[in-house]
Amino acid sequence: MVTVTINVNGEKRTASVPPETTLLRMLRDSLNLTGAKLGCDVGDCGACTVIVDGKPVNSCLMLAAQADGRDVLTIEGLATADRLHPIQKAFENYGSLQCGFCGPGVLMSAKALLDENPNPTVPEIRDALGGNLCRCTGYSKMIEAIQVAARAMRGEPAEKTA
Amino acid sequence: MEKKPEVAEKATPLETLPEAAQILTVPALAPLVTYPLEVVVPEARQQTPAVGQRATRQDGRLHGLGQTKYIDDWYFPGMLFAKIKRAGVASARIKSIDTKEAEAMPGVVAVITGKDIPCNSFGPSLKDQPVLADTRVFHAGDGVAAVAAVTEQIAADALEKIKVEYEVLTPVLDPLESLKLETPGVHAPNANIYGHKVIKKGDVEKAFAESYQVFEGSYRTQMVEHVPLEPHATIAMWDPNGRVSIYSTLGRITLGRADVARTLGIPMSRIRMIATIVGGNFGGKNEITTEPALALLSKKTGRPVKCTFTRPEEFYASTTRHPLIMDYKTGVTKEGKILGRKIRLVLDGGAYCSWSETTLAKACILSTGPYNIENLYAEAFVVYTNKTMTGAMRGFGVPQVCFAHESHMDEIATALNIDPLDIRLLNAFEEGSLSPTSQKLQSVVVKESLLQAAQRFGWIANGNGKGNGAQS
Amino acid sequence: MKRRGRGIACMWYPIGFTVAANPSSAVVKVNEDGTATLLTGTVETGQGSLTILAQIAAQELGIATEDVHVVSADTDTTPMDTGAIASRTTYVTGNAVRLAAEKAKLILFDVAAPMLGVKPSQLEARDHKIFVKGYPQRNVHIGDVANHARLVTGEPPIGSASFNPHTVALDPETGQGKPFGTYVYATQIAEVDVDDETGEVEVLRIVASHDCGTAINPMLVEGQVEGGVSMGVGFALQEEILFNKDGIQINPNLTNYIMPTSLDMPEVEVDIVDNYDPTGPFGAKGVGEPTLVPTAAAILNAIHNAVGVRITSLPATAEKVYAAIKAKRAQSGKQLPGGASRPQLGGAPAPSPAD
Repeated sequence: MVTVTINVNGEKRTASVPPETTLLRMLRDSLNLTGAKLGCDVGDCGACTVIVDGKPVNSCLMLAAQADGRDVLTIEGLATADRLHPIQKAFENYGSLQCGFCGPGVLMSAKALLDENPNPTVPEIRDALGGNLCRCTGYSKMIEAIQVAARAMRGEPAEKTA
Repeated sequence: MEKKPEVAEKATPLETLPEAAQILTVPALAPLVTYPLEVVVPEARQQTPAVGQRATRQDGRLHGLGQTKYIDDWYFPGMLFAKIKRAGVASARIKSIDTKEAEAMPGVVAVITGKDIPCNSFGPSLKDQPVLADTRVFHAGDGVAAVAAVTEQIAADALEKIKVEYEVLTPVLDPLESLKLETPGVHAPNANIYGHKVIKKGDVEKAFAESYQVFEGSYRTQMVEHVPLEPHATIAMWDPNGRVSIYSTLGRITLGRADVARTLGIPMSRIRMIATIVGGNFGGKNEITTEPALALLSKKTGRPVKCTFTRPEEFYASTTRHPLIMDYKTGVTKEGKILGRKIRLVLDGGAYCSWSETTLAKACILSTGPYNIENLYAEAFVVYTNKTMTGAMRGFGVPQVCFAHESHMDEIATALNIDPLDIRLLNAFEEGSLSPTSQKLQSVVVKESLLQAAQRFGWIANGNGKGNGAQS
Repeated sequence: MKRRGRGIACMWYPIGFTVAANPSSAVVKVNEDGTATLLTGTVETGQGSLTILAQIAAQELGIATEDVHVVSADTDTTPMDTGAIASRTTYVTGNAVRLAAEKAKLILFDVAAPMLGVKPSQLEARDHKIFVKGYPQRNVHIGDVANHARLVTGEPPIGSASFNPHTVALDPETGQGKPFGTYVYATQIAEVDVDDETGEVEVLRIVASHDCGTAINPMLVEGQVEGGVSMGVGFALQEEILFNKDGIQINPNLTNYIMPTSLDMPEVEVDIVDNYDPTGPFGAKGVGEPTLVPTAAAILNAIHNAVGVRITSLPATAEKVYAAIKAKRAQSGKQLPGGASRPQLGGAPAPSPAD
């Protein structure tokens, strides 16, 4: 067993896990943060995407031990007690999620993108979501919502709808 | 009897809890997940009249917060994890199954096989599918045993210890081979053709004789998977009144309850089936998979049992889309009006019937396309093969036949030098048209959809089916 | 070199089960403040059906979507439903929901009528109120009526109903009959670029004109069309389960089973065809499955328009398309009998990318 301490969503949390445990399993089973999902467990679908030290990673491909001492942001850390994150709000308003299973992964990829590139083009958004598989939505409304959220985060007024 | 070495429950303890709290198997320190409890309700949800509003979804907020609990997100105290041993061979007789070594493994609490299932067959129409295969294997994804253990890893490891002796048989893989009467029956003594349908109207041979030209085309489609992002998941648990609660990703809980009642031989009032918000179905979660086996494991162990499919199991142990072989023959006038159409469809029906009867019927009825055809003959067969079972998948055979009839229509248009849009407008259904089964159709808008799409796209008909969209 | 082409495909698709009974039932309970709870046995599989059902119940009761809380998918507490399958939820479950809401509404009318001094048949419900038809100034808030029903009249407004589409069995010899309650219709047009040196197909744009009867929620209809088109693109160009000669799947994983990512998706333009089906709830039919039906056909027709090759088996992988192009080139060189004209490697070259 290894003892792993991660700074997850701003809180220091520790767990004792078998050494082969992935970050995904530690988040889900040990820390009860079930937002990151298990879609394939081998890094193909992106449903497990979380942000480690500012970079989006497939948490099923990272050992929990490799995350020791690092900053991890999961979907549970996006909203605050006062407000939804602008990306969450945009996704809700634009109907960007259907079954919702790929949602946490997509939202984290979107957050990582906007943190690095506050004014992404559509090809750049498609590229950022390229590792997140979605079977329900066809990605269209996600791309629309990310653009809207980006505008809100830049403090720009909403685009005219008419 | 020698006592098995103890294995710590839930080998991944929930955080480093103080000694006393470790007795509990629910997290003593549930994470404080913050989200606003007061969020403005979006406009459209508050508007009347409600129909026509772009209302946001009731579950949209939970999805965005990552708070939607899918079945794999739930943990019940004392819960065990189950895995299914898959045959790995496409056609075989099972000579013996030895589970002793698996049962002796530390951490394994119970193992069951097909013999433990009171009524080991189910299916939406033909009840030809076993819960766990006990005498015969019909496709490589057939489950032959189920293990419940304290961790998922131990359950998966225990599968390796289960010894199954097979008499391997030659699988039938080609549906056209399976169609031939001399091919050995996959489900012998039953015939390989397990479904047949004919729709006929008028006199198709006469129509061909009167046609300006008769066209023939052959088309094939492949086997595909639904790929829902959420794998199949089930949790079963009993209460002291002898009632079992089954949480499942199943899309049809009424049918699911009936199937569990039948396979386990218990009254329906003793079964509760609950579906949470499912992470995608597309037809692949429309029949039971592990539910009866899990209910039995839960009864045997006296604890809740959860099973989630691995992604590979989603491919080979759950239903797929029917591959189709489609032969079309159409007689037309010089202007492109269809006088008669003859169709033969062969559906690769996989190892078990599943939803094949519905797929057969829909494919056959819809195969002529949305066109007025007075003389038609559509015949469809579905055959067994030793491949993954084919079942319900978004469209039930119609995406396949649409590919065929629309490719065929374009080939006719090209040959006759008619614009693909015009030939469709010439033949399309209208309000009150009769379908191939002579049903009078209402609220028909084929032509409207053709014209609207063409206008929106910027399609300019230039008469010879070779127009270039770029030149608009 | 990239060649551009366009292809059109139209389709029809039925709603509900083939002939067989597939009933749905629903219970609508109006709370004492005029909001409501809807019990349905259907399962939300991601398509947004619970929202649609809430909108239908709300419309019938004259309240807002937000006012209807939906409880679903528990055989102990929700009434039976044949399930989320065959695109039937909006039509079959929706009709059951509307009928159940209507029954609850009629109880409210029975209670409101003496409050307004009229007969129940003179009443209508909208905008959270119950009005006397033709005299909108005579109205009472639905919450007041519901509360009155509980406290005074003693008739809780609960409605329970079921629905099953009317069908006629098919003749076993000729297949004639009425297998479904209703059908939907659609057309999709695809624009593609085909690289005639590699066979790679890029889908640039799909225009999808879909009929769903009344669109209860246009945003969710668009979501279904966009999602269905993505499945259709995969079906047309990428997805295939492969078996070896022993009947074992070779690619049971998402590394080797290719399905569309955000990078593979074209621009999808959704167009809802204006329509109304009198047999559906408020004229609605359904849209879940039809959205992927014509996509592959449209794309394959566009490939033919671009490079003059007819691919007759799916998926139209780059290897298959390129092999067909090569074969066509080889044949174009040969002499042809009887003056039959063969289309040349058609389609004008694609314009250079704008960006």
